[in-house]
Amino acid sequence: MARHLLRTSLQYGAVLFAAIVLNFALPRLAPGDAIDYLLPPEQAGALTPEQRTAVLDRFGLDDAVPEQFRRYVTGIARGDLLVSVRFGRPVTSLLRERVGWTLLLVGGALALSTLIGAALGFRSAWRRGTRADTGTLGAVMFLDALPPFFVGMMLLLAFSVGLGWFPSYGAVSATDEQGLQLVLEVLKRAVLPMATLTVAGLGPMYLIARSALVSELQEDYVLMAEAKGLSDRQVRRHAARNALLPVSTVALVGLGTLVGGAAVVESVFSYPGLGRLIYESVLARDYPVLQGAFLLLIVTIVIANLLNDLAYPLLDPRVRKRRS
Amino acid sequence: MTLAEVDPQRATAGTGRGPGPSEVADRLRRGRAPRGAGRTMAIIGAGLVAACVLVALLAPWIAIHSPTEPSGTPFARPSSAHPLGTNDVGQDLFAQLVFGARVSLVIGLGAAAVALVVGGLVAVVAGYYRGPIEAVLMRLVDLMLGFPFLVLVIVLAAFFGRGLWTTIAVIATVLWARPARILRSQVLKLRELDHVVAARAMGASGLWVMGRHILPRIAPLGAAQFVRAANVAVTLEASLAFLGLGDANRLSWGTMLYFANARSAFLTDAWRWWVAPAGLALTTVILGLAFLSYAIEEWADPRLRRPAPRPVRRRALPPLAESAEDAPALELSGLVVDYRLAGSAIRAVDEVDLVVHRGRILGLVGESGSGKTTIALTVAGVLRPPARVVAGTLALAGRELGRPARPVVAPFRGRQVALVPQAAMNALNPAYPVLAQLVEAARLTRGAAEATTRATELLERVGLPASRHRSFPHELSGGMRQRAVIAMALVNDPALLVADEPASGLDVVTRAQVLKLLLELRDQMHLGVLLVSHDLPTISRLADDLAVMYAGRIVERGPAAQVSSSPKHPYTRALFSAFPALHGERRPLASLPGEVPDLTRVPEGCRFGPRCPDAVEECRTGDPALEDVGSGGHEVACLLRRTP
Ligand code: SF4
Repeated sequence: MARHLLRTSLQYGAVLFAAIVLNFALPRLAPGDAIDYLLPPEQAGALTPEQRTAVLDRFGLDDAVPEQFRRYVTGIARGDLLVSVRFGRPVTSLLRERVGWTLLLVGGALALSTLIGAALGFRSAWRRGTRADTGTLGAVMFLDALPPFFVGMMLLLAFSVGLGWFPSYGAVSATDEQGLQLVLEVLKRAVLPMATLTVAGLGPMYLIARSALVSELQEDYVLMAEAKGLSDRQVRRHAARNALLPVSTVALVGLGTLVGGAAVVESVFSYPGLGRLIYESVLARDYPVLQGAFLLLIVTIVIANLLNDLAYPLLDPRVRKRRS
Repeated sequence: MTLAEVDPQRATAGTGRGPGPSEVADRLRRGRAPRGAGRTMAIIGAGLVAACVLVALLAPWIAIHSPTEPSGTPFARPSSAHPLGTNDVGQDLFAQLVFGARVSLVIGLGAAAVALVVGGLVAVVAGYYRGPIEAVLMRLVDLMLGFPFLVLVIVLAAFFGRGLWTTIAVIATVLWARPARILRSQVLKLRELDHVVAARAMGASGLWVMGRHILPRIAPLGAAQFVRAANVAVTLEASLAFLGLGDANRLSWGTMLYFANARSAFLTDAWRWWVAPAGLALTTVILGLAFLSYAIEEWADPRLRRPAPRPVRRRALPPLAESAEDAPALELSGLVVDYRLAGSAIRAVDEVDLVVHRGRILGLVGESGSGKTTIALTVAGVLRPPARVVAGTLALAGRELGRPARPVVAPFRGRQVALVPQAAMNALNPAYPVLAQLVEAARLTRGAAEATTRATELLERVGLPASRHRSFPHELSGGMRQRAVIAMALVNDPALLVADEPASGLDVVTRAQVLKLLLELRDQMHLGVLLVSHDLPTISRLADDLAVMYAGRIVERGPAAQVSSSPKHPYTRALFSAFPALHGERRPLASLPGEVPDLTRVPEGCRFGPRCPDAVEECRTGDPALEDVGSGGHEVACLLRRTP
C-alpha cells in the first residue's frame, strides 16, 4: 500500500511539476518578448528602453533562468501568483472569487452525467442488440456529437430567450437576495449551464458503462449466477458491481473534459466562473490570469485523481489485497 | 475467454479446453463484415463524413459568393441570392458555411494525422527498443493523458497564436499520447511473434523489421485511432475558434459561431441561419467520425455486438413436488441447437438423446466444437444467443418441460439442475466473499438464518476449511475455488449436476481430489451427474455411462465398462489412444489427422469420414445412425459396425 501510494504520488507530482514548468516556459518560449505577455499590449508597446529594463527587473526577467525559475516556484508555493493585467489585482484573489462557481457547475454536471450515463449504459448493456439499446446508443452519440457551446446556445435560445424560464446571464441577479431567495436564484441560473455540461459529459460515461457491463456479462461468474437460480435482477447486480470500477475511473477523465467544457459553456452563459475568466483573459491577453487558472485546474485534477486512487480499493477487493 | 474473442484461432488450438458456444460463433464470424448496429453505424458514419468532405472539396463551385468579401446588406434575411442571408458586415453566410468545412476538416484531419504519426513513432520506438527509452517515453505519455485537453489547448493557442498550422500543431500536441499508448501495446505483442523474433535473431536491422513486420500490422489499429483523434480534433478546433482563438482570415464553423455569439445573433431570429447551420454542420462531422470509430471498435471486440438473452420474466415457480424417485434426473431427446449468425445458421447439436439416472454419472466426451458444452448449457438453462434451441424435449426428474429453450429451463436453475461451468475457478464473483455467494443462492429456497447454516454445511462438505468461508475468491487456491463452486451448485439440492470440465486448469493431485469429491457427492446426494469433458481416458474410469460426441452428434454410447473395454467407433478408439502431454493435460487426437470439422460445411455421408482411418467408399454417402452393437445399450453410429 505504502509503495503504491508513493508511486502514484510521484506520478501526480510529475504532472504538477510539468504544468509548472510549462507555465514558466510558455511566456519565455512563445514568439515575441516576455514583456508582451506580462503587460497589456498598449503599455508594453509604449515603454521606453529604460522602462523596459525596469519592468524586466521587477519581474526578475533579467536574472539567470534557474534563478527565475526558483523565484517562480517559491512564489507559487506561497500562493503568490502574478498580478492580473486587466484587473490590476493579484491573480490569486481573482481565482478565489471565481472558482466556487465552476465547482458548482462542474461538480453538479459530473454527478448528473455519471448517474444518468451509467444508468443508461447499464440498461443498454443488459438489452444489447435490442431496438432499445440501438436507439439509446444512437441518441447518446448524437448528443455527444453536439459541440457543448452549440448545446448551450440552443438551450439559451429555447429556455431563456424563447420560454423565459431562466435568466440568460450571470450566476446571481443584480438585486441582493438573501437566504433561501438567494439559493433559489443561484440554482435557477445554474440550471442551463449545468445541463449543457451534463450533456457534454454524458457520452463517454454511457459508452464506458455500456461496454464495461457487456464485458462483465460475458464473465463466467455471471453464467454461474444465472445457473444457481438467481433472478435477472440479482444477476445484473453481480455484473454491475464489477462494472462500477471502470465507470469510476472514467468519471475522473470526465472531470478533465468537463473542466475544459466549462471554459466554453461559461462563455455562452456569461457565467462568472473560471472558464469565463479564462475566456476573458484570452481575449484581453491577460496571460498571468490564464497561467494561474491553468495551474489551479491542474492541481484540482491531480487531487481528484489521488482521491480516486485512494477510494479504488473500497470498490475492488482484489486491489485491497494486492496493495496491503 | 478474451483471447478467444480476439483471436478465434486460439480458441481451438492448444490446451484442449473445448470451445464454448462463443468460440464456435467466433469461428463462424471470421472474415465477415461487421453486422447489426455496427454495420449501420459504419455506413451512416462514412456517409456523413464523405458528405462533408465533398462539400469542402467542391466549395468554390457550391458557393456563389466569397466567404470574406461583403456581398450584400448586413443582416440580410435568406433570399435566393443569399440562401442563409448575410452576417453583420454583409458577408454571405452560406459561403462561410461551405468554406468553413474546409478549415474545420483540414484542421481536424490534419491534427489527427500529425498526432497519429507522432504517436505511432513513439509507440514503435518505445515498444521496439524497450529499456530506458521506453520508460521515459511512456512516462511522458501518462503525463499527457493526465492533462485536460481543452484547457491545455487553450493555453497553448493563447500563447502561440491562431494560424492554421499553429492550430494543427497545438491540437496534435495534446492528441498524440493516446495513439501512442494504444499502438505501443500492439507493438509489444507483435515484437514477440515468431517470425519477428526470427528476423531479429538473424540480425535484421531494427528499421527493416519495423517497416516490414510491424508497421503493416499496426495499420488497422492506427486507422481506428486516427478516426478517434479526428473526432476529438474537430471538437477542439471548434471550441478554440468559438473562444476567439481561431484564424480570423480562415473561417471555420467554430469561428462562425464565435462571431454569431459575439454579435448576439441568437437574441434575434438570425440564429436560425447563422448559428444553427454551423452547429449542425459540426455535429454532422463529429457524429460521422464517432459512428465510424464505434463501428471499428465493435468490429474489433465481438462481445459488443453479441445480442443479449431475452430477459426471463419472474414467474411463480411450479411447485417442486417430490418427483418419482426412480425417474431419471435428465431425459433429453431430439435436441437440435443452431447458432444463428449473419443470416446463416450452423447446427452445433443435431438430434441428440441423453438419459442421466440419479446416482449415476454420464460422461459426455468429445473434441472442441463437438457440441458438448452447448448441450451442457442448454440443460442448465443458460444457453445464450446467438445459440437457439430449435427442437427437442427435456424432462428434469420426471417433469416434462417441452422444448428446452432458455426461459423454459430458467425457473428450474439451481433447484432441479445445477451447473459447474467450464473454468469453474473463475465462476465466483471477485467482489463478494465466498460464503455470501452461497448464502445468496441458498436464500432462494429458505430464510436468511437457515441459508447461512446450509451454505456453511455445504462448504464444509466439499472440504473448504471454516476459516476460509469468508474469504474473497482471489484469496483461495484454484482447488478451493473449484470446491466452493461445486458447493454453490449443490446448495439447493438439485437432482442433476451438469459439470463442464470441472477439473480443467488444476494440477494433477487437486484434479484427482475434485473428481473424487464428485463421486462422493453423487452417492451422498443421490445426484445424477452429466460430466462433460474432452478427456476420455480419465472420464471413462469415473463415469458409469459414456456418450461420445463428434460434430454435433453422438457416435457411440453405452455403459462405461463396455465402451472402454471394447470401443467400437473409430473416433472413440482414437480418443482412447490420445497420449498425455506435459502438465497432465491430455491432447486429444494428437494421433488423428485432420481438423475438427467446420460445422458450416458438414461433409456428405459419415461426418467423421474425412478423418476416419477405416473409411470405405460407402462412408461417403451413407449417414450412419446409432445402432445396438451388443447388450446393455452399447450403441455405435458407424457403417462398419452395423450388426447384420
Ligand atoms: S461410417 Fe465409415 S467413416 Fe464413419 S466412422 Fe464408420 S468407418 Fe469411419
